[in-house]
Amino acid sequence: MIGFLIQRVLQALMVVIAMSIIVFLGVYAIGNPIDVMIDPASDQALREALIHRYGLDRPLYEQYFVFMNNMLHGDLGESFIYRLPVLSLIWSRFPATLELALTAMMIATCVGIPLGLWSGYKPESLSAKAIMAFSVLGFSVPSFWVGLLLIMTFAVELGWLPSGGRGPTTQVLGMNLSITSLEGWSYIILPAFNLALFKLGLLIRLTRAGTVEVMSSDYVRFARAQGLSESKVVGLHVLKNISIPIVTVFGLELGSTLAFAVVTETVFNWPGMGKLIIDSITVLDRPVMVAYLILVVFLFVLINLVVDLVYGQLDPRIRVKAAS
Amino acid sequence: MKQNFKLGGSLVAALVLGTVLGGSVSAQTLTMGLRAGPDSIDPHWSTLGSQAEALRHIFDTLVMSDENLGLKPGLATSWKPIDETTWEFKIREGVKFHDGSELTAEDVKFSIDRIPVVTGPMSMTIYTKQVAETKVADKYTLHVKTKAPAPTLPNDFIRLFVVSKNVGMEARNEQFNSGKAAIGTGPYKFVSWEPKGDLVLERNDSYWGAKQPWQKVIRKEIPSDPARMAALKSGQVDLVNYVPATDYAAMQKDKSVDTFVADSVYFLNLTPNVKETLPRKVKVDGKEIDANPLRDPKVREAMDLAIDRKTLVRVVLEGLGRPANQLMPSNFFGGNKNLPERPYDLAKAKQLLADAGYPKGFEIDFHCTNNRLPGDGAVCEALSQMWARAGLKVNANALNGTVFFPAQQKGEFSLWMSGWGTLTGEASYTYGSLVHTADPQLGLGAFNKQGYSNPEVDKLLQEGARTMDDTKRRALFEKVTEVSMNDRALIPTVQIQTVWAAKKGAITIPPRVDQETLAYEIKPKS
Repeated sequence: MIGFLIQRVLQALMVVIAMSIIVFLGVYAIGNPIDVMIDPASDQALREALIHRYGLDRPLYEQYFVFMNNMLHGDLGESFIYRLPVLSLIWSRFPATLELALTAMMIATCVGIPLGLWSGYKPESLSAKAIMAFSVLGFSVPSFWVGLLLIMTFAVELGWLPSGGRGPTTQVLGMNLSITSLEGWSYIILPAFNLALFKLGLLIRLTRAGTVEVMSSDYVRFARAQGLSESKVVGLHVLKNISIPIVTVFGLELGSTLAFAVVTETVFNWPGMGKLIIDSITVLDRPVMVAYLILVVFLFVLINLVVDLVYGQLDPRIRVKAAS
Repeated sequence: MKQNFKLGGSLVAALVLGTVLGGSVSAQTLTMGLRAGPDSIDPHWSTLGSQAEALRHIFDTLVMSDENLGLKPGLATSWKPIDETTWEFKIREGVKFHDGSELTAEDVKFSIDRIPVVTGPMSMTIYTKQVAETKVADKYTLHVKTKAPAPTLPNDFIRLFVVSKNVGMEARNEQFNSGKAAIGTGPYKFVSWEPKGDLVLERNDSYWGAKQPWQKVIRKEIPSDPARMAALKSGQVDLVNYVPATDYAAMQKDKSVDTFVADSVYFLNLTPNVKETLPRKVKVDGKEIDANPLRDPKVREAMDLAIDRKTLVRVVLEGLGRPANQLMPSNFFGGNKNLPERPYDLAKAKQLLADAGYPKGFEIDFHCTNNRLPGDGAVCEALSQMWARAGLKVNANALNGTVFFPAQQKGEFSLWMSGWGTLTGEASYTYGSLVHTADPQLGLGAFNKQGYSNPEVDKLLQEGARTMDDTKRRALFEKVTEVSMNDRALIPTVQIQTVWAAKKGAITIPPRVDQETLAYEIKPKS
């Protein structure tokens, strides 16, 4: 187990190093961040002074080693734009994204898995066909467009929900969350649903495919022969046997939702991390870009780790292998 | 969302509060949905336009500007040069900071001294670079010594925000963002802010200027155009800025909104690279040639004549613009009212190209921004089609500003178009940067990447920079405008207009040429 963890951490470090080099080279290839930020009224001397002040006149490898050295001392640097430590900048926006992503995943799971089970259980029924048609829409319609439709319908035409932004927050476990109040929910429900739509389609199809396959297997027939109720057959034996791919996809989707909810955050003006990173890229705010991507790498590694541990819980055969 | 609403008890209370907070126009609260906001609450951190726009509510500037960027008194009631290199500013008496302390010349001096210490990559030192030394003559009089004669100092000082000297030299962005150091003299007091989020302000009842109708102002940052328009239509905000052209067309039929159109300081200008060799060579009959055809004034004139500006405005910008014949509005200081409109004459353009030795035209790469100003990408594509009619093959590349500006700075373009706004309202800002020969020693021509150099223009600009007499200086800059525009050092195309929209009959928004949306100029309609 310890060996397994160490292996994962080493993997993460390799990815972080590779990724930070790519960002440095990428920004370098685009050009000097100062040229994007500088005021048109600046003269040449001021431009030179600024480039010098931010160390952008030094060779690239030197800039990179200064950065790595600081990072090893726990300092990821300050944003060029805000002059705030990047970690606290990113962290201040993390709760908004976290609650949005979790709400979206919850919607996708609570709706998607039952629908998928049903449409796999009764694949020929009309309702199953309707569900499948819906799932195709879920991942084929672009989310910014769906987002705009949702806003037009529920905020502009019906006036039931706000068109964007985040509701009032209360502090829970050191994080400002808005899902603690009903008003907060009125703000989160549209973006969360919009974000959930793609995952919903994915989970329905995944669950259905697994269910169809498993329903015809021997152990389902045996379970039925034993006289178990249908709900037990499906809810216990089928669900458990199709859960490995579902958990895998769930983990990956959770990670990408947390890291790249950009489109939904933009359309609904949700003050999350996705908007921060896009804004940082457009002004070449390198410290924020690098720090954010490093966090994303760790996030994915962490989620994959949890997924692996859950595998073991779901399927004893995997546990045995990992232990050996 | 830093503000923690303590929702006491029942959900009913939460819902009631919800309708109040999310609700529509209440006479006392103004909620604005704006495209961009500040990067910090420190007014000396950045020259970013939206930063100044937001912080004007909290901090006052020494000199203020009206809706056409003409100067008017701010915290200084008057100013005059007392010798060639000294300006005297009389400071308004009886002005109180939000913490109750009184404004004196010391605070102004402190603010000028503070800028070089704290400013960031969009450096505010551009507004203080002419200052050699500041002296407090008496409690309400400040003498500013300049390094050389500096006739435009009052123009620079429309961005000189005055902070209280009590905040101390140590205060940085964090202290300002938390509100601790956000102590100004402005019409509104700071309540809360978070980067890219909402700025919340409340009325300063002891403001020295006009009494404010709004008890509370919420400045929401909504960069996405559709999201901003939806926020207005759903009633979440009372007004929005930068209405896209397509929405503007629809809004004119919509009975529930008012629109307000303003000329802007932003112009889309073409820049032909006139250096000996082009970074991207032009092709004639598919073969690269070494010569730079753009050096020939006939070619530049031909390209100019091939531009149908009226069509650009009517079709590409949906009417939200004006044909341009110089780089800034002609009523700005140094603008030239005598320049004629630029004609559209395709036959003459073809003739000139033939005269210049390119009867079959040539092929050239053309770069421009696509996300900086409304319509920039579309104008770019349209221009290349207009030139095609004159026989030129122009490969238009509309780039994101993030890619465009570094490449432009490195001199990688042969022909480009980008926006320029004359934010100080006078000519030296624009022509000094764009058409003076690039000269790091003088600090002039910093954005002259096209290699244009005309000794006559240089001489006029340098003379203008040290002429204190307004009438004489105005004449010098008018001449600069005339000569450089006739040379086609840059080719102006269109002036952009921008649009605000608000709920029908709720408020009036006085349009400003600098596009600033200022709560204290917005009045409820009674």
